[in-house]
Amino acid sequence: MAVGESQVGSGSEPAEKEVEARTGWRNTLKKIKRDTTARWGLYVIGFVLAVTAFTLVDSNLSRFTFGAISDFALAEALPVLEHPERLPAPGEAETNQPPMFHADGSLSNPLGTDPNGRDYFTRIVYGAQVSVSVGIAATFLGLVGGTAVGAIAGYYGGWIDDMLMRAIETVYAIPPLILIIVFTVFVSGGSPDVRFAIIGVGIAFIPVFARIIRSEVLSVREMDYIEAARAAGVKDRNIILRHIIPNSFAPVLVYATLQIGVTILIVAGLSFLGFGAQPPTPDWGEMLNTSHGYMHSNVWLSIWPGLAIMITIMGFNLFGDGLQDALDPRIND
Amino acid sequence: MGLLRYTTYRFIQAIPVLIGISILTFILANLTPGDPVRLMTQGQEVTPEQIERIEAQYGLDRPLHERYLDYMAGLVQGDMGHSFHRNRPVTDLIASRIGPTLLLVLSAYAFALVTSIPLGIIAAKRRNDPFDHVSRIVALFGVSTPSFWIGIMLILIFAVQLGWLPSAGLVYPWWSPETYGHSGYFEHLIETMRYLLLPMIALGTLQMATLMRVERTQMIESLQGEYVKLARAYGVPERTILRKHAFQVAQLPIITIVGLNLSTALGGAVLIEFVFNINGLGRLFYEAIIQLDYQLIMGITMIIATMFVIGVIITDIAYAYIDPRVTYGESE
Repeated sequence: MAVGESQVGSGSEPAEKEVEARTGWRNTLKKIKRDTTARWGLYVIGFVLAVTAFTLVDSNLSRFTFGAISDFALAEALPVLEHPERLPAPGEAETNQPPMFHADGSLSNPLGTDPNGRDYFTRIVYGAQVSVSVGIAATFLGLVGGTAVGAIAGYYGGWIDDMLMRAIETVYAIPPLILIIVFTVFVSGGSPDVRFAIIGVGIAFIPVFARIIRSEVLSVREMDYIEAARAAGVKDRNIILRHIIPNSFAPVLVYATLQIGVTILIVAGLSFLGFGAQPPTPDWGEMLNTSHGYMHSNVWLSIWPGLAIMITIMGFNLFGDGLQDALDPRIND
Repeated sequence: MGLLRYTTYRFIQAIPVLIGISILTFILANLTPGDPVRLMTQGQEVTPEQIERIEAQYGLDRPLHERYLDYMAGLVQGDMGHSFHRNRPVTDLIASRIGPTLLLVLSAYAFALVTSIPLGIIAAKRRNDPFDHVSRIVALFGVSTPSFWIGIMLILIFAVQLGWLPSAGLVYPWWSPETYGHSGYFEHLIETMRYLLLPMIALGTLQMATLMRVERTQMIESLQGEYVKLARAYGVPERTILRKHAFQVAQLPIITIVGLNLSTALGGAVLIEFVFNINGLGRLFYEAIIQLDYQLIMGITMIIATMFVIGVIITDIAYAYIDPRVTYGESE
């Protein structure tokens, strides 16, 4: 069954596309620089990545250098498992402080605190670490898996292609969120966490990437240089790794950028249901799950993590849109 | 005539995928480290004899392939196994919960189509003017915001702050008005809408935004087509061009995307039913996962995937029906 054949487009003019992809990179970069949408996307992505990098450095470097976690991390934003003594005892902390612009708010907790008395701003900043890195890691995993499957299917053709494509259609037929939850929960034996979620998301995204790679490979396979390599007696494995994949990769890379936004969206949903990052790890989806119970007492708790998710994904979408406009010759002013 | 054959052909083509899905869910369910019985009885004290009895009852003491064939034999007869936690047949449980999910997903689609197509067309027609910019920004927000967060925000505004709409549950239009104490069918319908409105918007926004973007791009492309230029040259009024020539061609990709996006919508239903406390399939899935009720999980996964596959087939057929260029199947 051809579920979604039309989505990826089985490469109607593969040869043309290929030439364009290889010669157009510099041109594309220029277009992206000129495209306001793409530029703003890049700024947002850059900002989010910088925040993520900061949290990674802050939580790791200072720990190694000073033998303790930094002041910033000490605001109980880090997984507190290592420092259980920092967690306020129930009832002891000043819980649920409102944000600073509120009459009862204070500057020391710009976004207020969560019900455990932990600074919410710090948790939002640290949330980037899990949300963004999980999004990127999972997309990368799907990319690698999809590339392997797509390249093998496209290169060998015949029954290998048939088998792999049927398998891929099957995976594709289960909605990603459902597949990821089922995978995560069963494989972890009922105690899900982020690592299983990454693998699950990666598997769920194999079909999309495999389809794109396969259609690219089908066109590259017919090129003269592949014929030449085969005639020279180069092994199949080397042909695939050295010639086929590098020459089919450009469109997939573009798609992967777009996919990161989708991944972050799905992972947020996963954590929101409680099958992704586990408390006390700060993660935007997980924070929304917790704040769900405080909707009547502290509205702000539900607002900030959602805004963070939205801005991050918007960055990837803006960039992806600009990239697509730059690459699509059909729509031009 | 060809359409009927094409329809049959597409449904036959779906059979291997459905078999594939059953194998995949079966494998996933059996990937669990340790034995399933431990999983089923989590948190309860069980004696080795009890474990043996449960294993025998569920056939867990037999080899994997035998159990799969058993499961398949059941599936063909509409028997999806037995829910361990609820002590009821999985088929019954699914049947009792599928209605709200269908209502939610279909109404979300109705909302998305009704809003996205006119907006997309106007945006394409007034390309680069303020209306276009605003609608593009709205669409960007739509594709970037998690549906469950939209749901939470809607509840905060319309249920918690303003108190206009209920924040949880659904009124089922297929139940009689008396069940809810409504005075008549009119009130019943109004109440149904009041409960449905927020979850429908929450689930439908992503679809709306996606479709609006596609509609705009397609219309722009379509309006640049040779046939539009020709029609203009012949002096065909602009309204007619927009309605007849450009519109129809531009709808084809929309149909495909409606089918493929069903996957996102069905996944999203799990989140939205969780946020709005709707007793549909998605919430049943969530509960089954929490309880590790693995026959029930397998059953729901099967049903949701089947719904998606059927949805794609229906849109494919609609596509073939609308587009005169499509030939049915490979034989012609």
